[in-house]
Amino acid sequence: MAAPPIQQETVPWLLENGSYKVLTKEARQGHGHSHHGRTAHNMSSSSLRKKSDLTLVSKVQCGLLRSFLTNLQEVILGTKLSILFPAIPLAIAANYCNFGRPWIFALSLLALMPLAERVSFLTEQIAYFTGPTVGGLLNATCGNATELIIAIFALCQNKIDVVKFSLLGSILSNLLLVLGTSLFCGGLGTLGKQQKYDRRQADVNMLLLFLGLLCQLLPLLFRVAGGYTTVTTVAALQLSRASSIVMLVAYVVYIVFQLWTHRQLFEADEEAGEGQEEETPVIGFWSGFVWLVGMTIVIALLSEYVVATIEDASNSWGLSVSFISIILLPIVGNAAEHAGAIIFAFKDKLDISLGVALGSSCQISMFVIPVCVIVAWIAGIDMDLNFNTVETGCLAVAIITTAFTLQDGTSNYLKGLILLLCYVVIGACFFVTTTPLNQGNPMKGSVVNLGTSGSLAA
Amino acid sequence: MTSGAGDREVSIVVVAPETEIRTQEDTGGSWNTVVSNGKGATKSPPDCTGFQKGTAFWKNLQLVVLGTKLAVLFPAIPLAIVADFYSFGKPWIFGFSLLGLAPLAERVSFLTEQIACFTGPTVGGLLNATCGNATELIIAMFALRQRKIHVLKYSLFGSILSNLLLVLGSSLLCGGLANIKKEQRYDRKQADVNSLLLLLGLLCNLLPLLLKHVMGKGPATAYSTLQLSRVSSIFMLLAYAGYIIFQLKTHRHFFESQQEDGESEEGEEEGAVIGFWSAFIWLVGMTVFIALLSEYVVGTIECASDTWGISVGFISIILLPIVGNAAEHAGSIIFAFKNKLDISLGVSLGSATQISMFVVPFCVLVAWIMHVNMDLDFSLLETGCLAFTIVITAFTLQDGTSHYLKGAVLVLCYVIIAACFFVYKVPQDELDSYPGIKPFTGVFAS
Repeated sequence: MAAPPIQQETVPWLLENGSYKVLTKEARQGHGHSHHGRTAHNMSSSSLRKKSDLTLVSKVQCGLLRSFLTNLQEVILGTKLSILFPAIPLAIAANYCNFGRPWIFALSLLALMPLAERVSFLTEQIAYFTGPTVGGLLNATCGNATELIIAIFALCQNKIDVVKFSLLGSILSNLLLVLGTSLFCGGLGTLGKQQKYDRRQADVNMLLLFLGLLCQLLPLLFRVAGGYTTVTTVAALQLSRASSIVMLVAYVVYIVFQLWTHRQLFEADEEAGEGQEEETPVIGFWSGFVWLVGMTIVIALLSEYVVATIEDASNSWGLSVSFISIILLPIVGNAAEHAGAIIFAFKDKLDISLGVALGSSCQISMFVIPVCVIVAWIAGIDMDLNFNTVETGCLAVAIITTAFTLQDGTSNYLKGLILLLCYVVIGACFFVTTTPLNQGNPMKGSVVNLGTSGSLAA
Repeated sequence: MTSGAGDREVSIVVVAPETEIRTQEDTGGSWNTVVSNGKGATKSPPDCTGFQKGTAFWKNLQLVVLGTKLAVLFPAIPLAIVADFYSFGKPWIFGFSLLGLAPLAERVSFLTEQIACFTGPTVGGLLNATCGNATELIIAMFALRQRKIHVLKYSLFGSILSNLLLVLGSSLLCGGLANIKKEQRYDRKQADVNSLLLLLGLLCNLLPLLLKHVMGKGPATAYSTLQLSRVSSIFMLLAYAGYIIFQLKTHRHFFESQQEDGESEEGEEEGAVIGFWSAFIWLVGMTVFIALLSEYVVGTIECASDTWGISVGFISIILLPIVGNAAEHAGSIIFAFKNKLDISLGVSLGSATQISMFVVPFCVLVAWIMHVNMDLDFSLLETGCLAFTIVITAFTLQDGTSHYLKGAVLVLCYVIIAACFFVYKVPQDELDSYPGIKPFTGVFAS
């Protein structure tokens, strides 16, 4: 893909091994110097970062205090989303003072957005110290930390359908919403030119998504064809667990492919331009690590609130749990990446947008979902890969549509618009679905009753 | 077989893989390599005295029987026959017959190739197109005769699945790993043509299924579905005929493998190594053996399934095709290692197309003649897997390049589908329509 030589704020970047590498002058002559392991993920959310204004802090006399305050400023105030940070104490206060559960839910949701972004920033900082491969691996695992944590909490509270819905919604949101808006805005932003991207990266991701779809399709067909009896439930569970192991194997091969043997597929051409972003980390390794642990704990706390209060919020707002899990939760969890992907599409750097959206959905489909199944297995909870008929149907259509859209290597705003409208229609479908409030005893053979959606009326 | 006669290449593309597992036979001595100029004239060995005839016969035997690395499995044939006469136990008969089928299938394709040397390219191509899946065809005929329609459907479905996912996937995987530094390319036009025909076959399978779903159970439904299936089969055969004409006559160049400059096939003889009549007799003989072993296989499949604790579905869908395709499979992988992906693709896709568009409708029509009610409704799970397989294969092959991840994903898809059929228990209403089979008493007998 030949990137047009735009001279404005281009940064010489190299999307290497799925990791973003900012090139200084020496590094541009020969690769192999400072690899940062900044992935497309981090890259896109970095567009929401602010350059820290250190003038205020530098007035503090005490050196130790100054460095601590610098650190604090970098981490807490380093993003435009930091205005949402006050939601964290508000959510905790709401929980203890019993403001009303819908409030706890809303405040926790709002608070999760900046936290998710900060976690990716910290992961990127740590990746500076650990080298590109480990950095890439770190990002591959922590890239969807929020979704993973929400899913595990929901599992612990035995809300299997919330897990399934939120993960499914995450994939749908990445494939249709993030990708659609990026293509749409990118297409509008570059109306005179044709936008190109390297389809090989997209192909690899779509192939893995297809494999994930098969793993979800088979237990569903199995149950429909074999009848809803105890025997088929047990068999579907065994099949799901075996499939999860296979999915993890595939994910490992994908990581090896992306970070090691076929790195060049994931690299974009270098652009001539000035380097502007810092190449060095702004905080130390241990400080980054400590912040990361801290932020993860806060995310865990907020996720617990979210999962616990989701039904009450659903009741008082009149929306179904499925709608909240499939549509609202992922939009919140992905907000930072979403904004970043759109900004990069505007700058005609579609490869990054695609890397974000597709990589994220691939990661959820082939890593987070099987991990959840295996964690459930260890915890003795029966979670299978049977996402019911309507959801699996939506997922299948989404994957096929996206695969078809991305197959020719060019983009225009209409493609983005269509994907976006697909998402709107799917959202409408779940909006009108009414869910009965029983979360379902998993052993009874059907994990979710979708009531009027008729998903079990096969 | 080099590209001496340009019109010979078609049969090479389809038949070639098995040559990789043939041993290099020493044909020196009084028997010279027979050179064929494509018109059927051969040089026969001079001065056939009695002794030389004996030697010639011995050479012939050696070429045919020992000419493959799979020959080590030949003793399974007499063992299977002995097991049948002495009633060793049906699972043993089943096992031995399966093992015996593998080398026989390979030899049949070798003999077909030899005969094609004499008959010219078109007839040779046609011969290969029909006999390429002789084993599957014969097993299908026997299953039909013993009224085991479910075994028939499962084995054909499994054959398509195994070709599209296992053979293709392992070829792409091994080829990608072996050629990790190079970019592997292939001509996607051939893949496109095959994908298109497979989609047509899928439609013909899908419609009876949907019809049954919508119209509900009952004799009227069964009748409509049967009629639809029979008519569809006729059209599928027409489509296959069109494909043959396309492949052998009008668009031959799509299917010719890309020969690289200056590279000749490694030491392969250009002509047939045995005479026409000798090949013909061997072919008939081998087919008789295949028929015998297939009869054993189909007859003993339920007992084997009971004894081994695996469902009939799993054996028919997974085990039978792996055995039947073993030779092509090995050859396909070897060609992928050598970065000749066009040949590997030609083998796997061509075989899948052949089964889907020729063997399946042919069975339906034969069943019609025999007054057996076979329709094209492979049930929900199988049709779903088939649809998914065709879509993912079409998607994988559509850009003309390959790497090991593509192969790995296809192989993993096959593993998952195999796992699914391993735990699948045929539902009761399907069993009722197939008298004589029992649900498996495997792991999930609760």
